Amino acid sequence: MAGVDVIIAEDSRIQAKLLQKRLTDAGHAVRWAENGAEALKLARERRPDIIISDIEMPVMTGYEFCKALKSDPALRTVPLILLSTLSDPIDIIRGLDAGADNYVTKPYDADYLLGRMQALLQTPLGEPSGDGTLEVGIAGQTFRVQAGRQQVLNLLVSIFENAVAKNQELIVANQDLSIARDKLQQTNSELSDLNDRISTINARMVRDLEAAAKVQRSLLPPEDAALPGTAVAWRYVPCQDLAGDFLNFFPLDAEHAGLFVVDVSGHGVPSSLMAVTVGRFLSPKVSDQSLLVRQRADGGITVAAPAEVASQLNRLFQADEFSGLYFTILYGVLHLPTGRLDYVSGGHPALLHVPANGPPAYHGAEGFPIGFVPEFDYPQASLQLAPGDRIYLYSDGVTEAMDKDQNPLGDEALAACIASTRTRPLEASVADLLETVEQWCQPRGPLDDVSILGLEWRP
Amino acid sequence: MDLYRRIQTGKTGDVHMIVFKDKKILDDTVLDEIKKEITTLLGKATGPDVLLDFGNVEFMSSAMLGLLGQLHRKITTGHGRLKMCNIRPEIFQVFKLTNLDKLFSIHKDAPTALATFT
Repeated sequence: MAGVDVIIAEDSRIQAKLLQKRLTDAGHAVRWAENGAEALKLARERRPDIIISDIEMPVMTGYEFCKALKSDPALRTVPLILLSTLSDPIDIIRGLDAGADNYVTKPYDADYLLGRMQALLQTPLGEPSGDGTLEVGIAGQTFRVQAGRQQVLNLLVSIFENAVAKNQELIVANQDLSIARDKLQQTNSELSDLNDRISTINARMVRDLEAAAKVQRSLLPPEDAALPGTAVAWRYVPCQDLAGDFLNFFPLDAEHAGLFVVDVSGHGVPSSLMAVTVGRFLSPKVSDQSLLVRQRADGGITVAAPAEVASQLNRLFQADEFSGLYFTILYGVLHLPTGRLDYVSGGHPALLHVPANGPPAYHGAEGFPIGFVPEFDYPQASLQLAPGDRIYLYSDGVTEAMDKDQNPLGDEALAACIASTRTRPLEASVADLLETVEQWCQPRGPLDDVSILGLEWRP
Repeated sequence: MDLYRRIQTGKTGDVHMIVFKDKKILDDTVLDEIKKEITTLLGKATGPDVLLDFGNVEFMSSAMLGLLGQLHRKITTGHGRLKMCNIRPEIFQVFKLTNLDKLFSIHKDAPTALATFT
């Protein structure tokens, strides 16, 4: 097709520029008008070979422009292609009535549009044959349309071609859909397999976690645990399934009881594994591992001094071997007949002593966390209890419990809480302290394990 | 451009200065990154002098103490010195609670700490 003179009527500058480029590249001369009125003006200035017009435009629509063009004797034989969305059958009637020669549906393929142009230019339009009025019925309405045979024929062909093109697109789309559906089915079945596998793995992990939690519970006192000549109450709330805290109390021999709170740094699996390992060394049963009691040659049992226990633990658990994990411990041995408590602290919060008659007081012992300093001799401290005295051991999850503004509960609040429950049974005071901690951490709840162990000496 | 994500580094004389960038050192991943970055920085140096600056740190988990313990041992074993400074009271409480304020050499600010290296 030799270069021809084209007018584009299109209100979208971007659309117009794109089309103009394609036409210019194909060797045509292009003039662009923003609306029908302007296009008509351009056409009158110089008669174009062909016009391509959008329909929806301000000032003068494509239909109005077409009608005006076709009623201009000098321009009526210029072929005009309407760019229509053809979303409504009425569009066809309107185009017919306006005298459009061809339709191209939007969005259009530029090559297709060029093909339509060529076809139109090859069959020059004659003067209207004056066939007169056509009657068309669509959707229960009758339209009277002024159109020449040639126009009707052109339109018919263009609509048919459009339909064929759309049909082709539909077929391709259908094939794509069918391929996509197959892929989806395959992916679905893969996903389903994967889901099954995840469920299996998850179930296994839940089982493992439950088993681990069970092992960890074995580090805690049994439900019916009791010490003669004392009241003991405790609470233990891990912040995750597996915790780094644990506590226990038990008779060591006929006259001594051992009690401790241990806090392994961190949470979760690594900390709980270490807790279980440490726990084995803190057994009241004579064994190769227990650091608390030893069988003597005469068959009796020797209770190890707390300082000795801490120093041994420190030798066994140097932090490097546990990738930076360490633990703090407060371990005490209570001589049940006399109420003398010997204790040691490995970097653990001080114990709280609440005399039967008097204000609470903290008693710390100096000692680094277990695993920090090799070959450290842990100093031992002593506390004489009077009948009715209470002591509380706890983890830093109590005093370092943070409220929503990151304020710790603190030593003073702990002591005040304990003092306020002094007249109530030990069990109630421990329960009350836990509630105080949980209230303090609202709304998030504690972010650390919380352990509390209270003992009242009642000889 | 900073070489490290978690620490800012510098050198005063022979002292490696390490400033923690994080406000919160709570997460295990943050802790691991800090550990890696310090290890990279100090490399194979035996017994370096190191000053840790906690000026930015507002919250710190007790697990961080484990890292400091490892670092302390590694440095002192090689006859180097590890000092710390700019520790705000809330953080100092974590050291005090575990008695580690007596193990570590803790100073008010960087100039005071640097003066003790000579």
